[in-house]
Amino acid sequence: MRAFGSKNWLISQKGLGSSGSVSSVLLSDPVKPPVDAPDYPPELARLPPGRHGLPREFVSHNQRERLIAGLAEAVSENGYAGTTIAHITRHAAVSRRTFYEHFNSKDECFVAAYDSVMSELRQRVGDAFDQKEEWPRAVRAGIAAMLEFLVAEPHLARLSMVEALVAGPVVVERYDAAIQSLVPYFAAGREGRSAKVLAGLSPTTEEALVGGMVSLISRRIFADRTEELEALLPDLVEFTLTPYLGSAEAARVARA
Amino acid sequence: MAYKSTTRPLPGRQPLSREFIVRHQRARIVTALAIEISEKGYRKVTVADIVKRAAIARNTFYENFRSKEDCFLAAQEFAMSAALERVVAAAGELEEWPWRVRAGLAAFLEFVAEEPALARTCMVESLSAGPAAVKYYEESQQAFVSLFRLGRDVTPHGEDLPETLEEAIIGGVFWIVYQRLAAAEPAAVPELLAEVVEFALTPYIGAESAREVAAP
Repeated sequence: MRAFGSKNWLISQKGLGSSGSVSSVLLSDPVKPPVDAPDYPPELARLPPGRHGLPREFVSHNQRERLIAGLAEAVSENGYAGTTIAHITRHAAVSRRTFYEHFNSKDECFVAAYDSVMSELRQRVGDAFDQKEEWPRAVRAGIAAMLEFLVAEPHLARLSMVEALVAGPVVVERYDAAIQSLVPYFAAGREGRSAKVLAGLSPTTEEALVGGMVSLISRRIFADRTEELEALLPDLVEFTLTPYLGSAEAARVARA
Repeated sequence: MAYKSTTRPLPGRQPLSREFIVRHQRARIVTALAIEISEKGYRKVTVADIVKRAAIARNTFYENFRSKEDCFLAAQEFAMSAALERVVAAAGELEEWPWRVRAGLAAFLEFVAEEPALARTCMVESLSAGPAAVKYYEESQQAFVSLFRLGRDVTPHGEDLPETLEEAIIGGVFWIVYQRLAAAEPAAVPELLAEVVEFALTPYIGAESAREVAAP
């Protein structure tokens, strides 16, 4: 029943038969799937055409999620600029008319996809962070969760970190806000530091750390080297902890 | 000018001198492109928009550029090479590496404040303007990387620093600068100097020494 182990949760969760949101479906099962879990066959995940006796609301919700998944697939194949509504409806296996029942444009569908990926990512990072008592460990866990998600979902990684930048001002604004929303995780590191350490932190320290981290990540995704992301963990941890802990201690946590 | 040997020349066509650009209307066209892009994003800008904004004839555009893409590459080349040139010139006047970094960053921030639309275009839209633009952007960033990397020689733990440190520092500096531009506050960019200097130097020379250079 659960499709969490598949490579592409947006797509495979089509078959879950749940009307919950994508993230609530996923988060109801925090057990990590085996890495080599087979892909959920998309044909099994699709709702059969014709009369199926399912409530209208369910069908509609399902269609919307299929369209979002279809867009993610189409964008990873053609890039945002090259993606047409025909590509999206083909991947989603729905009609053009159905597309327009849910979205007014490709841009609108992209925004929906972007938001659903980001809410999932935010949730995972937040959960991982909250599970650790000590702040340096929490930062490490949060970054690890982010990298793990991006590596497991290369299409969605590209959609959220690369294609978002070319999808026009509306998405760019959301992208900026999403990145800035990571600032408090780092700012929490100021708590309990000595006056000397605090004097060394400027108001923009966290912004710069987040920006540096994201640039390292997105450049690898852009270059289709998403699989290298997990190896970045120690570098990113050391980089982000150094202003608070000093480089020796930051390196220790990073390489633990 | 000890930096000369360590910074690579910019790839691709030779950078055009500012004088040349001004003389040939290219600056006007390139600036128009940058302003149009910052308003609607690269994809939605047309040659007609650029022509209108620059108040030139369509023919004049095509005398200078083959296409929108070509014009974008020229904008990017102009901005990146001008920024790098200024950074290298400013840094080269000083002896000690931390002070060179400070001078280089100051020159960079001043350039951004002077040319906000161009700077924003290069920082944000390079990814959407096709593979040539991306390649150029990556290679230009590499030139900044080598400027920072010299810092590894002045610190005893230089060899232990993460391989990606310079990339992360540049990404961080670009990000906070970009945030000011996105908020339409280009005048605030040079005021970031002390903060970015401290941020960039701390991993190499420690917070205390970094602060002395950041706010002397």
